[in-house]
Amino acid sequence: MKKETLKKFQSLLALLILCVLISILTDKFLSASNLWNVLRQISVNVCISVGMTLVVLMAGIDLSVGSILAFTSAVCAGLLTQGIAFESMDLYIGFTWVGAIVVALIAGLLLGLFNGFVITKFDIPPFVATLAMLTMARGATMLYTGGIPIANLGEKFERLGSGWLLGIPIPVWITLTVVGAGIFLSRKTNFGKYVYAIGGNEKAAFLSGINTKFVKLMVYGISGITAAIGGVLVTARLNSAQPNAGTSYELDAIAAVVIGGTSLSGGVGTITGTVIGAAIIGVLNNGLVLLNVSPFWQQVIKGLVILLAVIIDKKSKK
Amino acid sequence: MKKLIILCTVLMLALSCKKEQANEAPKVAVVISTLNNPWFVFLAETAASNAQKLGYDAKIFDSQNNPATESDHFENLISAGFDAILFNPTDADGSVANILKAKAAGVPVFCMDREVNADDAATCQILSDNYSGCVELGIDFVKTMKETGKYVEIIGLVGDNNTWARSNGFHSVVDKFPGLKMVAQQSGDFDRNKAMEVLETILQANPDIDAVFCGNDAMALGAFQALQAAGKADIIKVFGFDGADEVVAKIEEGKIMATGMQHPEVMAEYAARYAHEYFTGRREFPQRIPVEVELVTKSNADQFIKK
Repeated sequence: MKKETLKKFQSLLALLILCVLISILTDKFLSASNLWNVLRQISVNVCISVGMTLVVLMAGIDLSVGSILAFTSAVCAGLLTQGIAFESMDLYIGFTWVGAIVVALIAGLLLGLFNGFVITKFDIPPFVATLAMLTMARGATMLYTGGIPIANLGEKFERLGSGWLLGIPIPVWITLTVVGAGIFLSRKTNFGKYVYAIGGNEKAAFLSGINTKFVKLMVYGISGITAAIGGVLVTARLNSAQPNAGTSYELDAIAAVVIGGTSLSGGVGTITGTVIGAAIIGVLNNGLVLLNVSPFWQQVIKGLVILLAVIIDKKSKK
Repeated sequence: MKKLIILCTVLMLALSCKKEQANEAPKVAVVISTLNNPWFVFLAETAASNAQKLGYDAKIFDSQNNPATESDHFENLISAGFDAILFNPTDADGSVANILKAKAAGVPVFCMDREVNADDAATCQILSDNYSGCVELGIDFVKTMKETGKYVEIIGLVGDNNTWARSNGFHSVVDKFPGLKMVAQQSGDFDRNKAMEVLETILQANPDIDAVFCGNDAMALGAFQALQAAGKADIIKVFGFDGADEVVAKIEEGKIMATGMQHPEVMAEYAARYAHEYFTGRREFPQRIPVEVELVTKSNADQFIKK
């Protein structure tokens, strides 16, 4: 337990050092409005990363989250603007914004469960199964949208992305809820313990009576839902669905998980760590733009920081 | 083994079916750099439908912004017996080898929108003039800004040649006016969300800017959204490029200042018609045909609104 807290402290320290560095270099960083911006901007990545953390804790990986995000975003926007029409039956179903969101989340859940089904039923490596879903869900998005953005989704829905509640941006509220649920699930429930157990030693977990297939299935399903929540957030923030939304978001999520101290070989890590990891990426993105660093250099620096964070984490574990 | 034999038979049957079709009408392939962007989807579909209207069998192939994928497509197309390629290259240099392969096999290639750096490879290149289009836009920018002010440039993907053709065209005009000062230049990856986030951050460092120039219209819309959220949409002027419907509508409302209207439908039509003329015996084509980019401002936006 002590080691665990020490490790959390480690990535938190990295985040603080980064913040101090940037605020020395520019006085624009430490303003309330800028920090709210950072929180709003990381909200999507944090949501996806919560699901990704659970997957990685089981020694799995989910490459399909960016595509699932795009698909659910398109479904959400499509239902809001066009609904579902059955021309042969002369039937038209319209959706309120709540209805559209619920269907989008269910779509995310189903795609995630499909990942889990393929992985557990056919014993296919998660890397391959979710890589296939990455392509399929992106293709499905293109088919559904015809490759064209769906715009003008109404004020109520837009408020979800740009509105404030009790002095905090609504996307941040949603993200806090997702993070809270993720922490509760991973720490306070048997399900969470099973996830750690499977990541530690799958065979031992199975032999001790854990239904490993069921747990895996559900975790990929959860990852699908968190990706869908991210999809709804992106859609609301832009007030439109972009068919190429979420491209390479899976890499940002994996980076957040790894920087946050979760081991890619499973069994070790926390969701709080992941949130800090996502914050490090967000603060870095923000700082580099504030300092007007050339876009070429930004990519190099981001890579270096990821490397540095992981090296420090590795050293501190010894 | 049995399954393999069945599979092979089915495949051979399928392939022989294709061959028979080939004897009926020439087949036209549309090889497009990416289908991940509505503008290119429109270009590809218009080219294909134009070819179909002329009585040809047309198919679209997506290179996914990857010259290697494009190379695979070309090899497959040549061996599948396609008779012409309407081509939107992924890369000005990297795509040349692919075109030469087709040329060697006697398949004419008509480039659309993007240029390749070779004069003897493609049968004809029908090009959107991004550089000159942004020169026009730059002139309007200078006029609208009355030659003074601070501005931000949000460029597209840094590895894309259109990004730099547009940026260079714009700066060839604007840099001559010392009163116009660029306080930040950042990439928005041609993406609406990225552009919005980048501008949100830039506004923190430079709250007193007067204008934003974006390398495409998706980013202009993202920038507008960031300004609207910050309550500065009325003060800070947005300029885009492409001629997207949503932007043209916003220009008419006075919310966005100007954009460069490209004409993908004209390029697609030219390419299909030239392929048709090639099939009917024409062999001499001009190497480059520039298709003009029109400046859209509040004064003429109503002409571009699609009804």
